Amino acid sequence: MNTGQLSRAGLPFRAGLPLNTGLPWTVLRLHRAALIVWGVFLLAALGTLVWEVEITADAVRERISACAGTGGLCRLRVAIDYGGTISWVSTLVYYSFFAVAAFAAGALVGRELENGTAELAWTQSVSPTRWLAAKLAVPALLLVAGGTVFVLVFRWAWTANRDLMGDDWTFDDVFAARGPALVAYGLCGLGVGALAGVVVRRSLPAVAVACGAMYLVNHNLEVHREDLWPKVGDGVRPESHYWPMHLVETGIVLGVAVVATGVAFWALRRRTG
Amino acid sequence: MTTTLPAPPRSAPAPGLGLARSLLRLHRSALWCWLLLVVALAAAMLWAYGPGYETAAADVQEQCRTDIEACHFPGGPWLSRYSATVALTTLVVSFLPLLVAAWAGAALVGRELENGTAHLAWTQSVSPARWLAAKLAVPALFVTVGAALLVPLHRLMWNGGGDLLWTDWFDAYGFRSNGPVALAYALCGLAVGVLAGLLTGRTLPALGVAVTVMFAITQLGDQYRPSMWPTVTVTGARSLSLPDQALQLDRGVITDDGLRIGNNMACSDADGSVADLRSCLAHSDLADVWATFHPRSHFWPLQLTESGIVLAVAALAATAAFVLLHRRTAAAGAAV
Repeated sequence: MNTGQLSRAGLPFRAGLPLNTGLPWTVLRLHRAALIVWGVFLLAALGTLVWEVEITADAVRERISACAGTGGLCRLRVAIDYGGTISWVSTLVYYSFFAVAAFAAGALVGRELENGTAELAWTQSVSPTRWLAAKLAVPALLLVAGGTVFVLVFRWAWTANRDLMGDDWTFDDVFAARGPALVAYGLCGLGVGALAGVVVRRSLPAVAVACGAMYLVNHNLEVHREDLWPKVGDGVRPESHYWPMHLVETGIVLGVAVVATGVAFWALRRRTG
Repeated sequence: MTTTLPAPPRSAPAPGLGLARSLLRLHRSALWCWLLLVVALAAAMLWAYGPGYETAAADVQEQCRTDIEACHFPGGPWLSRYSATVALTTLVVSFLPLLVAAWAGAALVGRELENGTAHLAWTQSVSPARWLAAKLAVPALFVTVGAALLVPLHRLMWNGGGDLLWTDWFDAYGFRSNGPVALAYALCGLAVGVLAGLLTGRTLPALGVAVTVMFAITQLGDQYRPSMWPTVTVTGARSLSLPDQALQLDRGVITDDGLRIGNNMACSDADGSVADLRSCLAHSDLADVWATFHPRSHFWPLQLTESGIVLAVAALAATAAFVLLHRRTAAAGAAV
C-alpha cells in the first residue's frame, strides 16, 4: 500500500507552489481509515445527542409523570437514563483528544519517520517543512470544523432539557464541551502528538509520550480550573464566570498547541538540516 | 541494557525456553517499563498507606483543633497530596488492562505481522501455534506477578484510608483494583490485544481496536456488575434502614392488590419505626415497601463471579486468536 501512496505523493508535485492540491489529498488518502473512524465517531455522537433530545426526552417525561407524588428519587432515577447518555457523549468527545494525540504521534508522524517513507517523500520535491505542514493542516482543518459543529449541537442539547439532567456547568466534560476549549484540546493533541512523533521518531513510544503529555496538560488544567478566574467575595463562583474561565483555559491549551507545533517544526528542520 | 540478560547457556536450551528468552529480549524495553511502572505504583501506594495517611490525618486533626469548621470540611495540602496519590494510583491500576491491550495489540503482535518478522520466525522451526503460545504465556506470567503485587498493596491503601477517603467498596475503579478482577481484566486485555493484532495485522490499527474493545469490556463490567450475584431483598421497616455500606439497587412498594412496583419511594421517608411505617402504608393504600441491595459481604462473590466471566472472555479471545492463526497459516501453506 505504501508504494502506491508514495508514487502519488511524489509525482504530481511541482516545486514552488505553496500548498499543492495534491499534498492534502495524499494526506487524506493515506489516512482514510482514520478519517472514516473519526467521521463515524463524530456522526454517532451528534446523532445520539439529537436522538436523546428529540425522541428520548418525551418518553422520559412520560415515565416521570408515572412517578406522580412518590418522591424526588423516582424522578431522579428516570432522568439519569437521559442525562447519563448525554454525559457519555460529551465525555467521550471531550477526551477524544487522547486519540488525536495518539494518531498524530503514531500514524501521522512517528510511523513515517520510523519506516523511512518520510525521508523518501522529502527526496521527491516535498520539503520536510511542507510535508509536516500538510500533515498538520489537513487534520487541523477537520478538527476545527467537526469540533465547532459538535460544540454548537452540544450547547443546544445541553440546554434543551435542563430539568432532566443532574449535571451543571462545572462538570469537567460539560465545562469543556460548551465552548472553543473542546476544539483547542483537539488541536493541542495534534501539536503535542506531532512533536512527540518528530522527537521520538518511533510510532509506539511516540504514542505513549504524546498521551502521557496530554494527560499532564489536561489533568493539571482540570485540577486548577478553579484558579483560572478570581472568585467573588468569600469564594463564591457564579455561573457568569463560565466564559472568562473557559476562555482562559482555551488560551492556555492553544498556547501549548502553538508551542508544541512550533517546536516540532524547529526540531524537524534541525534534524533534516 | 543487554548485559543484564542471562548469558546463553552452553548446551542447547529447551525449545520453549529459547522462545521465551528471545521474546524477553525482543521486548526488553517493555519489560523495563513494566517493572518501572509496578515499582513506582507500589512505592506510591505504600507511601499513601503509611506516611501519606499519617501525615494527612495528623494535619487534619491539627486544623480541627484550631478551627471548628475544618473538622467538618477537612482540607489542607497534605490531605490533597494524599487523596491525589490514592486517586491517581487507583486510576492507573484500574486502567492497566487497557495499557496491556494496547501493548499486546501493537508491539507484541501487530508490529511483527506488519514488518514480516513473524513470518520469518515461522520459517525458522517455530510453528505459528508455538509462536502465539509464547506470546501469550510469557507476558501473562509478568502480568500475573505484577497484579499479584499491586492488588494487595492497593487493598492495603484503600482499606487504610479510614475517614480520610470518601470511598465505597462498590466504586467502579476501586472495585476493579481491589481483587482478582484486576488480574482477570489484565489477562483479558492481553488476549484481546493479541487477537486485535492478528485481526488487523498492523501496529497502530491494532492499538486502536484493542484499546477501544477493552474499554468497552471494562465499561460493560461496571454496568452489569450488580447483576453478577443474587441480590438481597428486604421488606417492611428493615428496608428503610439498610445495613451499613449496602449498595442499594432498587426500592419500591407492594400495593394492597399485591402489585409490585419498582423505583418508587413512597413511605421511604418514614423514620424507620414500625408504627410510623404502618400509618404511612395504611394512608397510601400500600401493603408493604421493599428494597433490593448488595450487602458489603457480597464483595468477594461479586469479585469471583466477575473474574470468572472476564477470564472466560479472555479464553474466548485467546482461542479465537489460535483458530484464526491456524486457518491463515494452513491456507497459506506450511512455509507461509
